[in-house]
Amino acid sequence: MSDEVVIKVEEMNKFFPIKKNVFSRAHNFLHAVDRVNFEIKRGKVLSLVGESGCGKTTTGKTLLKLYEPTAGKIIFLGKDVTRLHSTEDKKWFHSKTQMIFQDPFESLNPRKTIFDIVSEPMNIQNFGSLKKRELMVMDVLKRVGIAPPDAFLWRYPHELSGGQRQRVAIARALVMKPEFVVADEPTSMLDVSIRTQVMKLMMELIREMNMSFLYITHDLAVARYMADEISVMYLGKIVEHSGSEEIINNPLHPYTKALISAVPIPDPEFKRKTVDIKGGIGKPIDPLPRCRFYERCPFAMDICAQKEPELLDVGNGHQVACFLYEKK
Amino acid sequence: MITLGSILEIKNFKMYYNTQAGKVKAADDISFSLNEGESMGLVGESGCGKTSVSMSIMKLLPENAEIISGNIYFNGKDLVPLSEEKMNEVRWAGISMIFQAAMNSLNPVYRVGDQIIEAIVTHEPNVTFEEARGRVANLYKLVGLDPERMDNYPHEYSGGMKQRAVIAMSLACNPKLIIADEPTTALDVIVQDTILRELDKIQKRLNMSMIYISHDIAVIAEVASKIAIMYAGKIVEMADSVTIFKKPAHPYTVGLMSSFPSIRGPKKELNMIPGEPPNLLNSPDHCRFAPRCPFATDECISKTPPYEEIEAGHLVACFHPQNLKRQVSANVG
Repeated sequence: MSDEVVIKVEEMNKFFPIKKNVFSRAHNFLHAVDRVNFEIKRGKVLSLVGESGCGKTTTGKTLLKLYEPTAGKIIFLGKDVTRLHSTEDKKWFHSKTQMIFQDPFESLNPRKTIFDIVSEPMNIQNFGSLKKRELMVMDVLKRVGIAPPDAFLWRYPHELSGGQRQRVAIARALVMKPEFVVADEPTSMLDVSIRTQVMKLMMELIREMNMSFLYITHDLAVARYMADEISVMYLGKIVEHSGSEEIINNPLHPYTKALISAVPIPDPEFKRKTVDIKGGIGKPIDPLPRCRFYERCPFAMDICAQKEPELLDVGNGHQVACFLYEKK
Repeated sequence: MITLGSILEIKNFKMYYNTQAGKVKAADDISFSLNEGESMGLVGESGCGKTSVSMSIMKLLPENAEIISGNIYFNGKDLVPLSEEKMNEVRWAGISMIFQAAMNSLNPVYRVGDQIIEAIVTHEPNVTFEEARGRVANLYKLVGLDPERMDNYPHEYSGGMKQRAVIAMSLACNPKLIIADEPTTALDVIVQDTILRELDKIQKRLNMSMIYISHDIAVIAEVASKIAIMYAGKIVEMADSVTIFKKPAHPYTVGLMSSFPSIRGPKKELNMIPGEPPNLLNSPDHCRFAPRCPFATDECISKTPPYEEIEAGHLVACFHPQNLKRQVSANVG
């Protein structure tokens, strides 16, 4: 059972039209997610790493059907969920998938009590009696470390600290026992000491509930700690994918190398080698059919400007989209 | 009275905020000194008072802030009793600041270059516009910006360029000391890395003193030669950066060091500090870390530990300092 693929994405695209004004037709498109492929097995964590604006959040939201994909296929538990038409299908899909957002100060409704917030998924799904819901809320709150739960049930989010709020957000996501969760930078707004607590809690819950996780982060060190596998995204494309230790210790794509070499190391005696890349990240609006990293790449060759590199396996499941590694 | 070569010396400084609920002890008995050309890191979690300390040095405090006692000597002169007018002479020309979320500290309706020129002519009235413009062009080159972009508006700059412009502005009047409050927090890793290297280079070249304020010990490790760890309004430990990272003595520092994931070396289990940082409102008169500390004894909850030198240049406020005889406390938390 452990090899069961929970979610699989095939050639998924998400383009956003760019209009000059509300009435004009869109002539340009922002390629936020461009032909992305991956799969996550049961109980595994895939981390999507990249700079802001690279499309990692859009990928997560499209997976959960918060955006409609422009093209491609999403297969969840063996079922094609790219287009969900019937109410039952939608209910089924949304009861099995959940999202944890970045900012616990924004993602909890300030006018609802903790009980209302955590039990909302059950209300929407019409699940169980009020008594049962209350028991389940207490259960999940206790599990995420909100103790004693009955002291918190009728409080409001403003009475909670940042770490407690994120725990409540996690409780809300897990109360229906989802099979697949997208966590979008869930710890980046938290303080260092709280961040470690929340990361450890999520790891425990993933193991305990055998969930599959898509963990979106900009922090490679966090990705390494949380994930089994890492995909590096650049301007809507996955440029490298491998097991997390392999990517950290043996990065291949010039962008991944630059990204890893730019991470500050908490050791004042260690001097990093720096890889210089030019310029800053752009916007993938109607990109030319060439490598998106071309302008910034220190190893750019003629071929990089002529066509787009494909994500190819170079051995041991290490995939990279770069002509440097393409066999002639 | 002042140690030779020290540019900034803070002595037993206390600043509380008066609120309806009581006093918030944001800076409680803060003492440190900074030499010329030295860079120091002030590390702590949000709400521990690190920004309050920097705002106190600049005397940019809100109305409900009250300086209870202590001195802040800058170049031998105490800033605490200075009037607002006198303080204006110190600000920017003596001490300047790179603010948190610097990208939002540029005025969107003025050209970026003009905003820096304004800073120069305000503080040095005998400088002509053309001279100031020439100086800004030089500053642009110094921080790695194209001087031709001076006449652009902030929205035409990327995040990293805005950050560079803000750094150029902080350098405009040749300050002796720059306080950088989370200078790279809103930036992506690659941009953060180039900005940090740029700052480090400029600081060494101009022999300025810097105070970096951050919650990220990895960033501080890169740029600071001396580190002060703040917890709940107090400095709990201070030493040179190698000592802080290799031989942390305060249990909070020990916990902090082992709770950071790193991409270097073998993957290790993270230790966590239980509990949450305390509210600074009406802080108790004992060690503030005691409720979360694995080494706490009765002594810790009855009185405040003294802030003492446990070895040369290594100050700690703790009754039970760790790692003294190289005993590694791997199982904290």
